Amino acid sequence: MLVVKCPVCGAEGDETDFHAGGQAHVRRPASHDPAHVSDEEQRDYLFIRINPKGLHFERWRCDRGCGKWFHAARDTVTLEFKAFYGITELPPADVIAEAKGQWAEYFAKRLKAEKQA
Amino acid sequence: MSELSHESPLAGVTPPPGLSVSLREITDRGMIDLRGHGSDQAFLSAVKGALGLDLPLRPRTSAGSDDLRVLWLSMDQWLILCPRTKAAEILAALRSALTGVHSLAVDVSDMRAVIRIEGGGCREVLMKGTSLDLLDAEYRPGCCRRMRFAEIAALLSVVEDNVFDVYVFRSYARYAWDFVCATAREPARVRLFGAQDAPA
Repeated sequence: MLVVKCPVCGAEGDETDFHAGGQAHVRRPASHDPAHVSDEEQRDYLFIRINPKGLHFERWRCDRGCGKWFHAARDTVTLEFKAFYGITELPPADVIAEAKGQWAEYFAKRLKAEKQA
Repeated sequence: MSELSHESPLAGVTPPPGLSVSLREITDRGMIDLRGHGSDQAFLSAVKGALGLDLPLRPRTSAGSDDLRVLWLSMDQWLILCPRTKAAEILAALRSALTGVHSLAVDVSDMRAVIRIEGGGCREVLMKGTSLDLLDAEYRPGCCRRMRFAEIAALLSVVEDNVFDVYVFRSYARYAWDFVCATAREPARVRLFGAQDAPA
């Protein structure tokens, strides 16, 4: 049983009061440059997901509360939630630092892009 | 020509004998769904002008009196409760006050059924259908929240310490009513939670 806490309204409860929405931070390529979306990019957006053993980042919805979507960082081995954060936000810096493998690569790329912008 | 008439979702249904709580449907309640940004001052002051009261901005709270009550549903959604006969008038006042403000106000009086549960053990009865700890101090009079009740979506409003209103979508009314009737039977009373007498 997972105990989830919504960062928007603060409701804390059983996972059945919430709705799991799959992997977080998936970006639709067509939103940024619709004219130049390769088949590989579209395939990755639709089907390719990260499936780590350890720290993972997910979307959740406060289904029986305020109804808002939010993000959660969860360890898939211990089932422990490391952080809950807003739907437009990146995880806290200390949680990003714990990320490994594909997630570490993703955040490194994302942070670099944000610094350049 | 056919005539429009209002029939409550639980018309003709009476609670069975031998329940540990008292149960009835509230049929004369008008409900208005209000949406707008809780951070928008223009929206908040327009609503205050129309209703005469401040919208509750803290999660899971409500504001107002018996006649006109506003339940917090989300950061940008509220449910206004009023007598059914007043709903059209209040809606018109709201809409004219909110002209030009990004918002939405709709009469949803027929959208939900309201079941009132009263009596000493009503928290325990409701807890058979939800994962919420209704004995927690958070669930004091004035508190309201959406919840998963008997596997369906419901809205819970604590009216008084032992008086609860459960709002369910109209099509679920009979199911929710039957669920409460089944779980509230006197022999099924739960004594596991809260203060208890010491065993003899």
